[in-house]
Amino acid sequence: MNKLKRLTETKYFMTVLWIVIIIALWEIFAFIVAATKRTPENILPHLTGIMESVMSDRTINGGQTAIQMVMENAAATLSRAGIGYVVGIVCGFVLALLMSLWKPIEKIAFPYLMLIQMIPILGMAPIINALTGDIAVSRVAIAAILTFYPVATNTLAGFKAVQREKHELMYSYAANKFQIYTKTMIPACIPYFFTGLKISAPMAITASILVDTLQGGIGLGCLLSQALKGAMTRYVFWQIVFFSAIIGILSFSVMGLLEYILCPYKRTSKKEKE
Amino acid sequence: MSANTSTEIMLKDIGMVYKTNDNRDVTALTGVSIDIQKGEFVSLVGPSGCGKTTLLRIIADLLTPTSGEISIAGETPRQARLKRRYGIVFQSAVLYEWRTVKKNIMMPLEIMHVPVKEREERAMKMLELVGLSEFANHYPNQLSGGMQQRVGIARALAVQPEILLMDEPFSALDEFTREKLHADLLKIWRKTNKTIVFVTHNIQESVFLSDKICVLSPHPGRLSAVVDIDLPRPRTMEMKNTVEFTNLVAKVRNSFEGV
Amino acid sequence: MTKRKLNFDSATSLLYPLIFGIVILMMWQCGVLHSIFRTDEYILPYPTRIFRIIIENFDKILENVNSSVFVIIIGLAAGSVLGYIAAIGATVSPKFGKGGLTVISAFNAIPIVAMAPVIMNWTKDVSSDAEVRSTVAKIIVVTLMCMASMSINAHRGLNELKPFSLDLMKSYAADNKTVFLKLRFPNSIPYIFTALKVSVPGSVITALVSEYFAEYRAGVGRQIRENILIAQYSTAWAYIVVACLIGIILFALLLAAEGIFLKRRKS
Repeated sequence: MNKLKRLTETKYFMTVLWIVIIIALWEIFAFIVAATKRTPENILPHLTGIMESVMSDRTINGGQTAIQMVMENAAATLSRAGIGYVVGIVCGFVLALLMSLWKPIEKIAFPYLMLIQMIPILGMAPIINALTGDIAVSRVAIAAILTFYPVATNTLAGFKAVQREKHELMYSYAANKFQIYTKTMIPACIPYFFTGLKISAPMAITASILVDTLQGGIGLGCLLSQALKGAMTRYVFWQIVFFSAIIGILSFSVMGLLEYILCPYKRTSKKEKE
Repeated sequence: MSANTSTEIMLKDIGMVYKTNDNRDVTALTGVSIDIQKGEFVSLVGPSGCGKTTLLRIIADLLTPTSGEISIAGETPRQARLKRRYGIVFQSAVLYEWRTVKKNIMMPLEIMHVPVKEREERAMKMLELVGLSEFANHYPNQLSGGMQQRVGIARALAVQPEILLMDEPFSALDEFTREKLHADLLKIWRKTNKTIVFVTHNIQESVFLSDKICVLSPHPGRLSAVVDIDLPRPRTMEMKNTVEFTNLVAKVRNSFEGV
Repeated sequence: MTKRKLNFDSATSLLYPLIFGIVILMMWQCGVLHSIFRTDEYILPYPTRIFRIIIENFDKILENVNSSVFVIIIGLAAGSVLGYIAAIGATVSPKFGKGGLTVISAFNAIPIVAMAPVIMNWTKDVSSDAEVRSTVAKIIVVTLMCMASMSINAHRGLNELKPFSLDLMKSYAADNKTVFLKLRFPNSIPYIFTALKVSVPGSVITALVSEYFAEYRAGVGRQIRENILIAQYSTAWAYIVVACLIGIILFALLLAAEGIFLKRRKS
């Protein structure tokens, strides 16, 4: 009894409880749907049904099982999202660095950085696809654009948040510009940089899937459109939905983990007595 | 000429005029002349707005005075800074939170391209001096405020400067920690024989620490008096209860004008 | 001297981006951009042509703008209110509520492309009219998107109070309702604006993307896509310009509202 009580007081217990509640609600509605609809798997299948379709070794398309298909397409989509993400990170960081180094660049770029946040880039996906003419390039391009501006704005904010006294210390050491950046500015902005990375990771994945839906070929989005049109079992659709949801959440967590590893000083905040 | 050799910092008729955003002149300092001898512990004391921090920043070459002359060991502040003749300590410790205590102290040495081995040795020596050897591999956020400030002092001393500039270094600490750091600072000063310029608004603190107190008054910032503190060294806590100490505190307090 | 320098400073921060924008527009109009992107004036029409199309098709564009803006505003309002209520819930019952907030914030990481078709499926029975059920589905997607950022930020605003302010309230023997009205709610207002700065652009994007998956063809986002499919690139561009304008105008309105509400707080 005492052990149970201690368990309910742990940090993760409530989160787990919430997940259990959501699963229970899903299943209740799935039962209702199954009793009232002709094609329940189109609306709300049982979670066990989805799990079963993942485990199933029945081939559905040219010798591939459902999960093999999803994984193959996911690999294509994620690798493009990954390339776009890296390109966006590099561009965003370099722009923030240039803006911090040279005032006129900041003046030119800053209003446009603000503006680009208000513009629905994802809505422009079709035209970027038409512009680049190549679906692979446009996927990378859109993932890169979506990654680029959160990284740029957050990194720039990081550069600006460096304490004035840290600059003055560097000045008193007669440090040159290179030393000021490598030893103070860049290490100081890393937590801000990671904020940008965490915001843009799920966005890059969303972008890559969305661009897939615009044109045929290989990719999670294409598979999603086909499954929606009824070209294959509906469970493929549900697998993709759950897979992309999990990947979206994971991408965010992976960035958090990376920050945890790279910034050991943020882990410890326990004050020791003098 | 022989008198000049022992003068470390010479301020002559220093004036500082700021322009506000609506284009009005504000006189932060006017006609300040101070001579600071080598190895002397000098405090700049005054209420906010008296320009004491401005004066310290002028010595540190962080500000350029609008009038007057200044020389540090016969050089301009800029030359002195480029030769790392001074170490500076701010109100907060300003530690690099991503570096361990030891690496914080090694930072200025890295910038000066001191060889790796010597860097380590000097950092450990400085940590020993401030009594934090066992915390070498801790991160700043694992230390208390007083310990952080001691790391700040160790870092300032690591460049082996002749002068230590301190801008209200203990004002954010509680009374008990501050008294301990007073004793530590005096011990370090005796061991290293640096010239110390110490900015504070705490009269007791300045009397306890200094050889000489420069009393600054506000609106406009100016030097009202120079009070010599002839209490014997080494200073002890008991001295604070003596009549001489109380009289000196009163003398400094009565030197302010227009407050 | 300083004043002149200050004026020069603020003048250039307006002038530099303006010149940059004009140069880009001129490069576009003169076909320089086309050679950079290796494309033709058919896929990337000249600005003047896009402008002419907006004028010519004004009524039809307005109809689609109305459809999108309706979804955005209703979804934004519903999501923000629900998010705020969730934040209050988590404040009243911290133990149970915080886990809930974690789950809600996880929803934020789910790609819209995965969520939109599911919601479309679930709302099939809402109405026999395709327009109504599509609109409801789109609103739900936008609502879910806005809920996350509002609940997290509002929870922060309701709980990150100034030191001792809660103790002060206790010393007045204030009940929970008074504490909420006099302390927690006013404290949360800046955080509400922080949340809206994320969710206003977010809701525009979400609305446009969920239009792709809707049964009923309406909205600015859907028009961009449909016109590309039939190779009407100029019309698609006209809708893109309009979509950008929606985003910018809504954000400008938000900033104006923030200016009015937080005017006295800025020191």
